[in-house]
Amino acid sequence: MYLRAANINIDDSVLVQQSQMGDTTAMERLILKYQNRIYNVILKMCGNPDDAAELAQEAFVKVIESIDRFQGKSSFYTWLFRIAVNLTLNHCQRSSRTAARSLDAEETEPDGTTSLVLRECLSDERAVDPATVAQSRELCELAKKCLLQLDEPQRAVVVLRDIEGMDYAQIAEVLNIELGTVRSRLSRARGNLREILEAMLK
Amino acid sequence: MKPNPNLDELLSSFMDGELSPRQRTEVQRMAAHDPAVARRLRQLQNCRTLFCSLPPAEAPGDLLEQIKQSLERKTLLQEHPVSPKRAAGVIHLVFRKLVAAAAMISLLAVLGAVIYQIVAPVPGGGPELVATATNPSQPVPDDRGGPTPAIVVADAGFSGRLELRTAAFGSTDTFVRREIQTCGLTNLAEAGIGNDQRIYEVAGSREGINRLIASLGGVWQDFDSAALQVNPPDSTARPVTIESVTPEQIAAVVARNSTEASFETAAAYAVMNRVVRSIPGGELPSVHEDAGSLLAMGTVPQPKLAGPQEPISATHTPAQGTTQASLTIVLLRTTK
Repeated sequence: MYLRAANINIDDSVLVQQSQMGDTTAMERLILKYQNRIYNVILKMCGNPDDAAELAQEAFVKVIESIDRFQGKSSFYTWLFRIAVNLTLNHCQRSSRTAARSLDAEETEPDGTTSLVLRECLSDERAVDPATVAQSRELCELAKKCLLQLDEPQRAVVVLRDIEGMDYAQIAEVLNIELGTVRSRLSRARGNLREILEAMLK
Repeated sequence: MKPNPNLDELLSSFMDGELSPRQRTEVQRMAAHDPAVARRLRQLQNCRTLFCSLPPAEAPGDLLEQIKQSLERKTLLQEHPVSPKRAAGVIHLVFRKLVAAAAMISLLAVLGAVIYQIVAPVPGGGPELVATATNPSQPVPDDRGGPTPAIVVADAGFSGRLELRTAAFGSTDTFVRREIQTCGLTNLAEAGIGNDQRIYEVAGSREGINRLIASLGGVWQDFDSAALQVNPPDSTARPVTIESVTPEQIAAVVARNSTEASFETAAAYAVMNRVVRSIPGGELPSVHEDAGSLLAMGTVPQPKLAGPQEPISATHTPAQGTTQASLTIVLLRTTK
């Protein structure tokens, strides 16, 4: 899963060059290549499918408008995610109060099966099976809600690392922060997520 | 186990493969020897597995189409970005340009009319003003070497008033009195108010008046100011006054063959002199006299202001015909 971020740059430079020369097909190929990843990251960060679609659209429009100014100092992949993540963080900060109220209103308790799987996740006895997690729709919803309870900077590093699969250097580039900050922020975010999950089981 | 931030950071980096080989070996050794570290590592790994296993969401199928539409909307907005403020500014600018153009056209029309009045050919040709004072009996040859034809003017009469101000009052007064006689003019009345003002009522032919003006041209630089008031052909109109009048202009006015023509010429000069005085430097582009034109139009000499100029000599041909013109000369003393 973590290999996918490393393998997506193969043809980017060619497509970007063609886009800069006015080749709209090349730009369409870039959009089609990244639209799901961008949408997925934005959705996990903001939690609302409509907002995510709108933000993804806005991010790509911005990329198209700015492609002439892209100099290739960073990879297109990190440049694209930087635009998308910045837009999403700004959006989240604007609507943070609304999101908090929404979460409070929708607070749910896991049912029996979900509680069992969740206990396994939090157990230190044995490793949890990822397939089991993926099959439990309710557990997935629970995990998404946990994510939304983190503050935006911590949420961003978790999403970029554990969901998008970026390495620390890429995260540092996307968020424009130091590598050490990525390390410490991610560690704190994971600790906080565990505490939030444990609180759900009580 | 109580969470240890430093240990958690190390374990977190270990899970992500972000440690150096030496650090990695160290963590593995710690986990192998310390069950608490091993448990904490398992907790963190399970927690991470939960989020890593979240199924990826797919973007809406029409996202690309939405992006295209958004770009089209933006392009349309950029093609018609007329804000009300900007539109008002454009209208204001166009209005100002139109007003400026209209003003320029009006000014050109007025100047054109004035110039036409001055340079319009006179039926029967124009008069010749200059002759030599040293040999008055001989006509002055023209540019082609031939003699200048004598001026014969048949008109209804000219009536005007020439007001001259000078500091050299005494000498000028004597000069004027003598030249009136020399030019064959009749001094109908002469009045003086103290030593500061003298009035001459001069009558005679137009040529005689012109000769007198030509003579005065020789001392024109002594005048501080000169103004010619020309009476209209009928009593209903108001007289016109040419400020800073020059001898050439007076000659041109006097030489016209009718009162009406003289008055029109005077009116044109009055306007022209006003325009010239309003221009810095007080000069107009030069237009040289030709055979058909009445007068050279060029740098308009103004008493004292234009500096010394070539004296205009008078002919001493005897006056012809009956009285056709009358000129009141008012000589005023100025103090320096």
